[in-house]
Amino acid sequence: MAEVVLAYCASHAPMMSSARMAASQSQRDNFFGALTHVKEEAVAKGVEACVVLSNEHFTNFFLENFPQICIGLGEKNWGPTEEWLPIDKVWIPGHEGLGAHIAEHTLRSGFDPAFSHQLELDHGIMTVYYELDHDMRLPLVPIVQNCAVAPLVPLRRSYEFGVALGAAIRSYTGLQRVAVVGAGGLSHFIGNPRVGDIEEGFDRWFLDRLSRGELEEIFEMPDSELELAGNGSHEIRSWLTVAGVMAPANAVPLAYEAVQPWITGMAVAQWPTSTPTLEEAPV
Amino acid sequence: MSVYQLNRCVYDWVRAGEVNSTAVDGRIDFDDAAYELSDDERKAFTARDIGGLYQLGLHEVLLNRFARAAGFARDDYRKLLEPFAAQEERKGRWQR
Repeated sequence: MAEVVLAYCASHAPMMSSARMAASQSQRDNFFGALTHVKEEAVAKGVEACVVLSNEHFTNFFLENFPQICIGLGEKNWGPTEEWLPIDKVWIPGHEGLGAHIAEHTLRSGFDPAFSHQLELDHGIMTVYYELDHDMRLPLVPIVQNCAVAPLVPLRRSYEFGVALGAAIRSYTGLQRVAVVGAGGLSHFIGNPRVGDIEEGFDRWFLDRLSRGELEEIFEMPDSELELAGNGSHEIRSWLTVAGVMAPANAVPLAYEAVQPWITGMAVAQWPTSTPTLEEAPV
Repeated sequence: MSVYQLNRCVYDWVRAGEVNSTAVDGRIDFDDAAYELSDDERKAFTARDIGGLYQLGLHEVLLNRFARAAGFARDDYRKLLEPFAAQEERKGRWQR
């Protein structure tokens, strides 16, 4: 059976790639240092595939048909979509077996995810995936959620989907070591007069609740309240899904920076696992 | 007119210029005639009028992508949108 050997979340502002140097040295060191830490752990633990959760930005779906959750089942996916994002445009290997198993298992668990045999991956997944594997060869099962167009999945439901997703991964027999990554958030505003504002108070409150396992207060928030931290703050659904995958473990924040040039509260948090590295594992 | 038509028009324009689109250079010859837009909507789209599109109800995620694809830096389009900012009286639980 597969194990979730690595679980973390990171913000995915496209400027972390396209305007990397616009952030201060200390902010870059803190944020990318945390991403380097999890990347090294992925190598040390021999991660064979990753499941990356992000959100739809009108890249694959439009208003005619907008799934709340869509699982990428294909043998490969294309990315990044944005012509201006300075990451090589490549076909990224998927993992058909794991993707299909996740879809089947979550369907049997009371969820109705859509699926896609070929997704375009935008900055939402690509920025964070690229930091995990610069070669972009690690098999990737993308999952995109609706964080943009009301009605949205309730926050609690995103967490519950994570619980089902965790059970799905852990019942898969085709792999042994899987990473689960959430990408998105924290506070940011896009396409409105507050673009550029960051609600640092919300970001620290959210990270604090995650690290203490006090999720009920988050779940209780209506979307209208969450949106006071920016329309982009709906993307915390990826974080809550990973929290569900790793329950009852609590997140450990690794980095937080309110990066004005990237218009986003940029955070990295990891959930502890007891999996040994390949060197530590008994032969 | 439904704002759907405006959203659809902008979405198609943005997608027409993206890497894996079926029409890589589609923005050059993009024709908005096929969309049922009001005069104000057509004028705002044609003029790349960010403030106008915001006021007409273009979805904010699309507005962001449109502004970026049309060559507006975020600092620039914020200035264009600032006149439409509304005073927010509500507080989130993290502010109490």
